[in-house]
Amino acid sequence: MLYRGSIGAIALAAALCAADAGAFAFEDAQYPDFSGKWNRAPFPGAPRTPQPAYDPTKGWGKAQGAPLTPEYDAIFEANLADQAAGGPGTTRGFTCRTGGMPLIMTLFQPMEVVVLPDTTYILIDRSNVQRRIFTDGRDWPKEIDPSYVGYSIGKWIDADATGHYDVLEAETRSFKGPRTYDASGLPLHADNESIIKERMYLDKADKNLMHNQITVIDHALTRPWTVMKDYRRDSSPRPVFVEEDCAEGNPWVEIGKEAYMLSADRQLMPARKDQPPPDLRYFNQSRK
Amino acid sequence: MTCRSSIGAIALLAALLLPPFLLPDAGARAFDQSKYPDLKGQWERVGSPRWDDDHAPLTPEYQAIYQANLKDMKAGGQGIDPTYTCLSPGMPRIMNVYDPMEIVVTPATTHILIQHNHDMRRIFTDGRDWPSDEEPSFAGYSIGKWIDSKGTGRYDLLEVETRNLKGPRVYDASGLPFHKDNKTVINERIYLDQADPNLLHDDITVMDHALTRPFAANKKYSRSKDPQPVWLEAQCSDGNHHVQIGKENYYVGEDGYLMPVKKDQAPPDLKYFNKK
Repeated sequence: MLYRGSIGAIALAAALCAADAGAFAFEDAQYPDFSGKWNRAPFPGAPRTPQPAYDPTKGWGKAQGAPLTPEYDAIFEANLADQAAGGPGTTRGFTCRTGGMPLIMTLFQPMEVVVLPDTTYILIDRSNVQRRIFTDGRDWPKEIDPSYVGYSIGKWIDADATGHYDVLEAETRSFKGPRTYDASGLPLHADNESIIKERMYLDKADKNLMHNQITVIDHALTRPWTVMKDYRRDSSPRPVFVEEDCAEGNPWVEIGKEAYMLSADRQLMPARKDQPPPDLRYFNQSRK
Repeated sequence: MTCRSSIGAIALLAALLLPPFLLPDAGARAFDQSKYPDLKGQWERVGSPRWDDDHAPLTPEYQAIYQANLKDMKAGGQGIDPTYTCLSPGMPRIMNVYDPMEIVVTPATTHILIQHNHDMRRIFTDGRDWPSDEEPSFAGYSIGKWIDSKGTGRYDLLEVETRNLKGPRVYDASGLPFHKDNKTVINERIYLDQADPNLLHDDITVMDHALTRPFAANKKYSRSKDPQPVWLEAQCSDGNHHVQIGKENYYVGEDGYLMPVKKDQAPPDLKYFNKK
């Protein structure tokens, strides 16, 4: 009888669990606290750059020291020449397309990270970035529709053996392009076969500082290129997430292969010196 | 002693069976997902992405604006629908769900994730009040409350109110307009169908100064059966052929040349270009 009592109790507990098969308590404390709003963190002593650089510890453009192949170094040089003349070079941000990976992880706008057991969501308002890092143990699908943000599979690691996860390792593949590392136009290879590995974790001494070590393996590089990005958590418990719609007031217009600018009165203007106007062959009349 | 033995046995069994991650932790914050309805997965729109345009209770002023918009569309223009430039459709049009939707429920926030044109929403369910100085946005500011409407001990309904919007916004591709004062208030009731847990309802009621009375719609969404659904990236700017120059919209053909969208439409003014 006594044993029956124990067995009965276990059976009852099991039955109670089974009766609520859909119930699932997600233990937040298993995971690092990535909640809140994260902004790009400055690196003390880093050179000033016209826009956030891919490697935040180094200078703009060539000073990044990207290990480009000679072919892609030449593409980069041509891009710099076009930008010096007023053009967009190899960048396509002016069209409001997302920069894709790894550029988006520079955080041109604040990031929210939502951690659930099966998926970690990276939400960045700019260009409507909704990145999913799948942590449900799935393998790479046989067919993946290429995208600018790619397809990300992650794994939580208990690196310090504390019984809690502290590192999210993610690998991202299946891209489309064109993509650049930053607005200087540093290019990724046109074959879009990049593989991007990330290690995201909180600083041990400062839990409001997140590190993201990003390694890019790409055919435009002579070797893998690793940089560290830091993000600082907003101190507000209810941070403001400002909606940024790139299309709103975008002063750029792409017509064919040419990028033009819009004036304050929203009329077409050349972006480069002596840039020809668009061909108006399909119009019945031309204004003088 | 007998009971203690039983309890002890259960505790020991639990300790042996559970991985260390699931053992109690002083700082543990448990998010009991079973308290909330299962909204996981990929949701697709059921039916047309339209409102009942023919029966919208517009004021005479906004009925005239709507009719002028329809006339422009008939001539090849875009009317007053601003989304051809890839501008966000805003609320409540976001909930027409042009691309598949994911609903990510956490205790403090329910995230509505839709790729399309910037159709991302946060519904705050942390008990906050309306902020006093929030920037207006196309998606607006949404505060929600989970309701246990049946007294089962579990939430089954998310009630949401959205304010602080900006424009221009329209209800759908017909160009049905909102008032330009953007003082729209949108109430939603989001819940699973009682008979079909793979069918989601969103009862939307709009209050707007362009209306003579509140305007309601019931939007429905069907859940994908795929346990690992494919989320396609939608970038409106990718392959968008529409451009806006001045107050006119034009089309860029496959050959890269600018084209009129209306008969006898004037070309853009090229006054800023050097004349040869």
